[in-house]
Amino acid sequence: MRINSKYVSRFGAIAIAAAAFAATGVQAQDLTLWTLNFDNDAANTALKKVATDFEAANPGTHIEIVQRAVDEHKTALRVAAGSSKGPDIYFSWAGLGLGGEYVKAGLSLPLDKYYTQYKWNDELLPSAAAFADLYPGGKHGVPFTFKGEAVYYNKKLFQQAGITEEPKTYEDLLADAEKLKTAGIPAFTFGGSVNWHVMRLMDVILETKCGAEKHDALMAMKSDWTKEPCATDAFAEFAKWTKDYTLQPFMGIDNKQSYSLFTAGRAAMMLEGDWLVSQLDGSGANLDDYGIFPFPTNTNRLYGFAEYNYVSTKSKDPDLAAKFLDYFLSTKVQQDLVGQISSISVNKNVQYTNQKPLEAEWLDIFKTYSKVYMNGDQAFPLDVTTEYFRVINDVAAGNIEPADAAKQLQAFIAGRT
Amino acid sequence: MPPSSCRPSSQVEPKSSLDAGRSRLQRGWLLLDPNAHALAAGRPEQMRMSLRNRTHDPRVQAFLLLAPAMAIYAIFALYPMLNVAILSFQKWNGLDPQRPFVGLANYQYIFTHDPVFWVAFRNTVIWTIMCLVFPPMVGLLLALSLNQKIFGRNTFRAIFYLPVIIAPIAVATMWKWMYDPFFGLFNEMLTSMGLQRWIKDWLGDRNIALYSVFVAYLWQSVGFSMVLFLAGLQNVSQSLVEAARIDGAGRWAVFKHVTFPALRTTITIVLVLSIISSLKAFDIVYGLTGGGPAQSTQMLALWAFTQAMQIFDFGRGAAISVVLLLITIAIVVPYLRWTQKHEEAEQ
Repeated sequence: MRINSKYVSRFGAIAIAAAAFAATGVQAQDLTLWTLNFDNDAANTALKKVATDFEAANPGTHIEIVQRAVDEHKTALRVAAGSSKGPDIYFSWAGLGLGGEYVKAGLSLPLDKYYTQYKWNDELLPSAAAFADLYPGGKHGVPFTFKGEAVYYNKKLFQQAGITEEPKTYEDLLADAEKLKTAGIPAFTFGGSVNWHVMRLMDVILETKCGAEKHDALMAMKSDWTKEPCATDAFAEFAKWTKDYTLQPFMGIDNKQSYSLFTAGRAAMMLEGDWLVSQLDGSGANLDDYGIFPFPTNTNRLYGFAEYNYVSTKSKDPDLAAKFLDYFLSTKVQQDLVGQISSISVNKNVQYTNQKPLEAEWLDIFKTYSKVYMNGDQAFPLDVTTEYFRVINDVAAGNIEPADAAKQLQAFIAGRT
Repeated sequence: MPPSSCRPSSQVEPKSSLDAGRSRLQRGWLLLDPNAHALAAGRPEQMRMSLRNRTHDPRVQAFLLLAPAMAIYAIFALYPMLNVAILSFQKWNGLDPQRPFVGLANYQYIFTHDPVFWVAFRNTVIWTIMCLVFPPMVGLLLALSLNQKIFGRNTFRAIFYLPVIIAPIAVATMWKWMYDPFFGLFNEMLTSMGLQRWIKDWLGDRNIALYSVFVAYLWQSVGFSMVLFLAGLQNVSQSLVEAARIDGAGRWAVFKHVTFPALRTTITIVLVLSIISSLKAFDIVYGLTGGGPAQSTQMLALWAFTQAMQIFDFGRGAAISVVLLLITIAIVVPYLRWTQKHEEAEQ
């Protein structure tokens, strides 16, 4: 039998390459990262570049990024949790609600040893890193992004109502809202049809009325909502804000319609995240027309939430997964990612240049606050979140009294099995 | 020796087939397979004839034709239904490897503790009643109008049927724009007509939100009833209509005594389809209000979905689905039986 010399030479080349590969101790290592298909396409591109760069720096490593829409991602994680296979790293939100469920189900690997090995706390923003300590049984996940939420205000409308400076306390804010009302300007705009939007108002009022400790205990369902008078006060205050100081009607509109009304100057303020800066900029709005200040809760905590990457217990190579996360969190990579995945990095050593004024204000806010309180839908389990939405909406619509709101929520929590 | 072609078929059976027949006999196939008798007895021709006869049997042909559809139905409909029924007695969040049996706890919870279930139940009943009354009634009126020889009737038929072919989620998006309290079509029209006091938060006011959603549903579904009634109207005997007119019957009397009785079967079909479609109302509600405000437009089908796919309590979601299934059966089966008896009595 004659063997074509061309094939012999090709086979030889492959054999030599394989031998060389083995001799250098390099082995094929695969990592799978399950994450969201982000609305911001720059984030998708940037993430793929990080993976490619890591592969180049670690020969023989291959990273597969699987991106899905939010609901598909959640479902895929549930399927993975119940099977023997799954990703090495997965994206989820931080907190006991959405992210905590997967931790509780054993899908997340505690990362204490990697936090020590890579000294992650030395380079992470404390407010962003704090979420890793929320879970029992060790540190879980590392920050992917950290989102702060604050009050955006229309400077011209403030001026029109005779407001000359940003409110420093809750009482100042209330007085400003009254001034706006007198001037015929609705203070806030919210979209009630997406429950989480108007929920933000309840969250910040609860923080204001109950203080940090009680607020946390209520959200952790360790305190009885009917036995904390501040909870009923918060519902009453929330009803007042939605009735007197919110652009009406709002129950039938969503957050996007609410945003359009804000930029159209129909309301003076909006409680939104740091991502609104790029949204305003992208829609051609003049950023100088707007200012921001954290909702004055008098507790010195920032309202926000974090998105995390968790190492999965299904991973066959958690060391490599941690190595990739360390690479992702490194100052060099995070410096390159500024403005692509988020306007503010989770790495505190990142330098910011040519920032827009609102972005600079956000950076100051992030640097000022070392503690955070979370959105209700991130803190509560999913079933309680659904009931929290219902109760809030009924209070806003005037269908239930504040005292009944606390009772109904507590009755639901008590009846959980 | 006679030529081989004249030999009995048993004598020309190849040895291998005989062996196969004996072998099958030994394995006990004879008891199960009637053809094995012929084979074992060395009568393959007889067996072939028997097979041919059987495949010519309409019942066998029907079974063969139904088999693929039945298999698909069993895999994708019967098995999931059975699984949902089992799941309704279990507790499962989609994460735990175990699904512990909890008896009737899911049913007990939705009936006694769930703050939304009875709201969804009430809304589903209201929705079903509205679906039984309005789409058939408006559909019948449209069909009666468009059954007349009027100018452009085919165009009108197409126009009224068009919404049926639009995806419900697209209908929801469209109507959401029209219902927008600030920039929507309806409030703009009311403003331009000087009727500002009639302006409403159509989807945000819990007292009217369900009915606002229903109007959108009516707009979409009425064309379907109309087409069925139009088909039914073609079967109304014109000689009977003319005879009634000759006897001096007016329009109403002709409709009452000739047209309406002739439409009875069509009415049954329209009503049953309306009930079924109303009980599974989901996408248009999901797209317009998501069940809000404050769960006031929640429906059983949507609440089952919310429990299972958003709260991830599959047991409770399954329990709500089973309740919905039982309600559907409880309404549709007696009605169909009553109609069947009524028709038999008439015949």
